[in-house]
Formats: sequence, C-alpha cells, structure tokens
Amino acid sequence: MELLKNIVIAAFTSVIVENTIFSRALGTSTLIMVARNKKNLFGFGLSVTFITSIVSILTYFAAKALKMDENSYIYTPLVYILILGAVYIITLLCLWKFAVALFVKIKKYIHISAFNCAVLGSMFIITEYCETFTDHLIHGIGVGLGFVLAVYITAAVYDRIYSEKVPYSFRGYPLLMIYLGILGMAFWGFSGHIINY
Amino acid sequence: MEKPVNENSSKDIIFNAMLKRNPILVSGMVVAPAIMTADSLSRAATLAAAFSLITFFTLLISSFVPKNIVYTIRIIMYAFIGSLVYVPAAIMLKYYIPDEIGQMGIFFPLLVVNSLIVSRSETIFFLESKGKMMLDIVFCIIGYDAAVILYGIIREIIGAGTAGGKIIGMPIVFQVFSTPAGGFILLGVMAALLRIILLMIKKVRQK
Repeated sequence: MELLKNIVIAAFTSVIVENTIFSRALGTSTLIMVARNKKNLFGFGLSVTFITSIVSILTYFAAKALKMDENSYIYTPLVYILILGAVYIITLLCLWKFAVALFVKIKKYIHISAFNCAVLGSMFIITEYCETFTDHLIHGIGVGLGFVLAVYITAAVYDRIYSEKVPYSFRGYPLLMIYLGILGMAFWGFSGHIINY
Repeated sequence: MEKPVNENSSKDIIFNAMLKRNPILVSGMVVAPAIMTADSLSRAATLAAAFSLITFFTLLISSFVPKNIVYTIRIIMYAFIGSLVYVPAAIMLKYYIPDEIGQMGIFFPLLVVNSLIVSRSETIFFLESKGKMMLDIVFCIIGYDAAVILYGIIREIIGAGTAGGKIIGMPIVFQVFSTPAGGFILLGVMAALLRIILLMIKKVRQK
C-alpha cells in the first residue's frame, strides 16, 4: 500500500507538479516543432515516453558509477549522449526489423524525440533527485508523459494561436510563449503557493 | 516597391541571422536555458558565454562530418561532438566563473543538444558554403547573446528591482518575471516587439 502511494505521488509530481515544460521549460523548442502536426502527436508522444523510460533505467546504473568520481561533471554529458545514442540506434534497428510500417511512420521525427532538452534534461534531473530504481523508472515515464501532456495542451490551441484574427505582432510564436507562461502559472499552483494575507 | 533582398550578400546574412531569424525571439530555439537561467544581467551573460563557446566550436567541427553518413548517425555525431566540446568549455568556465556556471545547474550541459546544433545545422548552416556558414553561425550566436542579455536586464529590472545587482528603486516589482512562467510571458512580449520592429524596417525598405 505504501509503495502504491509513493508511486502515485511520484507520478503526479513528475507529470503535473514538475511538468518538464511548465516548471522547467525543458523541450520548449521541440514542443513548438511538434505541436504543428497533430497527426504525429500520438507516435511522437509514444517515442518520447519510451526513450525517457529506457534511458532513465540506464541512467540509474550510469549515475551510480559517475557519483564515485567528483569530477564526473566534466564527462557526464558525454556518457549520457552515448547512452541516448545507443538507445536511439537500437530502437530504430528494432523497429526496422520488426515493425517496418511504424518505422517508416516515425523515422522523420524520432531523432527530435531522442535528442532534445526534455530527454537529456530528464537524465540530469533523475540523477540529481532519484535514488532507487523504482524512482528512476517512475520519473522517466512521468517526464515523458508530462511532455506529452504539454504537447497535447499546446496542439489543442495551435490553430487559434496562429489564426489571422490575432494581431500580426502576437500571432504564432509570441502568443504561444504567453500561453505557456499562463499555463505555467496554473501548474505552479499545484506546488502549493500560499498568499500571505 | 521593396528592395530585392539578396540572400547571398553578407549584409543580408547578418540581418537575417541576428534579427529576421533570431534564434530565440523568432525561431524559438534554445528557450529553456534562457527562461530558467537568464533572470539577471550576470546570469544572462554567463549563459551567453557558455552558449557561444559550445555552439560555435560544435558547429565548426560538425561541419566536417561527411554528408554521406546517414542522417540518423550524423545527429548522434553532432551531439557527441557537442559533449566533447563541453569538456574544455566546462573546465575553462569553472576556472574563471565557478559560481556563475554552478548556478546554471543542468542547463549548462544541456547546451550540447541545443536546437542550433541538432536542428538548424542540417536545415540551414550546413547547406551553405563554408564562408557564408561561418558568418551565419557567428551572427546567429551574437543575435542570441544580444537577445538573452537584453532579456536578462529587463527581467532583473522588473522582476527584482535591480540592475547589475544594484537596487535602482523601482516603485513596483513583479516577482513573477523571475519565475519560469513570467519568463515565458516576457519572452513572448519581446518576440512581439521584435516583430513590430521588423515590420517597421520592412516599411522603411519599401519606401
């Protein structure tokens, strides 16, 4: 029961309270690129969540070794890029071998779903805040799902943000940033902001 | 009638790199480190220094990666080169500005997969001739740095009521602009202002 409670709290924290986009802005550039095409959202979300889950497991083992050396901060990105590269290649090879149709469908954007700040950032955050294997896995899945949630929320209003009804100076990117800021404030409320009066 | 824009002239490459396609204010690239770290002049300057070092040398070395290697592998190679460039950059910056670089936290190593390296390299930079590419990269970086420093100054003034760390007696301070949410909003407003400026330049050119 205690384990289930911890899992629910950890999942809620990583998906909502510490949402990768709204609380740390990680992967904003990727979100802007992806939200444009609503057709690929599910496939993209699936590949991001899959990659963050797998790399979080591998990060658990790598971080154990890296924490032994106090100068590891110098080569940690190198190790994490190698892990990410290996997961990326193995995923592509598996898809190419066993699910050709899916491979053709997602090969255009799978590199964006692997090499972005949200995925690499999640590896650094997990290293910093997670101790146990379960923590690593839950946060890995949570970061992916949190990113997908942010992409869906953005894609839902994408056409309105780029509508010609919006004044030219704010149309598109500027309004998208303001929209993310307002949502960021709403999500910030989950962390328990208290007014002092 | 608008003057024909010669995409090949150095003047236009500089104008496009710094303003028309400004990485952060127009293209929405390398947004996370700016929002999370550039909330004051000193922190924005630290980000600009770290970003310039890592991006310039990574793109320079990555431009020699043969084009006949498949795209899938090229992307990994760019990120790998970025993390190799990070090693001397981290040692150097930790030596000269240890506190400032420490405050950047995870957003310093994250620069190795920034959008200029992973995305714009393939779509714009590496399609140009070496000379034009260098000019484009240098002014893209300058454009980003200038925008981030201005962003940091404004954020510090309205979010903390200080300028360069000194209290300037602002009648009212909006602390929300020091948070990520406020950072997004300010970035959106700055992007809109740049668009107005670009529109004005276009009108002047037409005249």
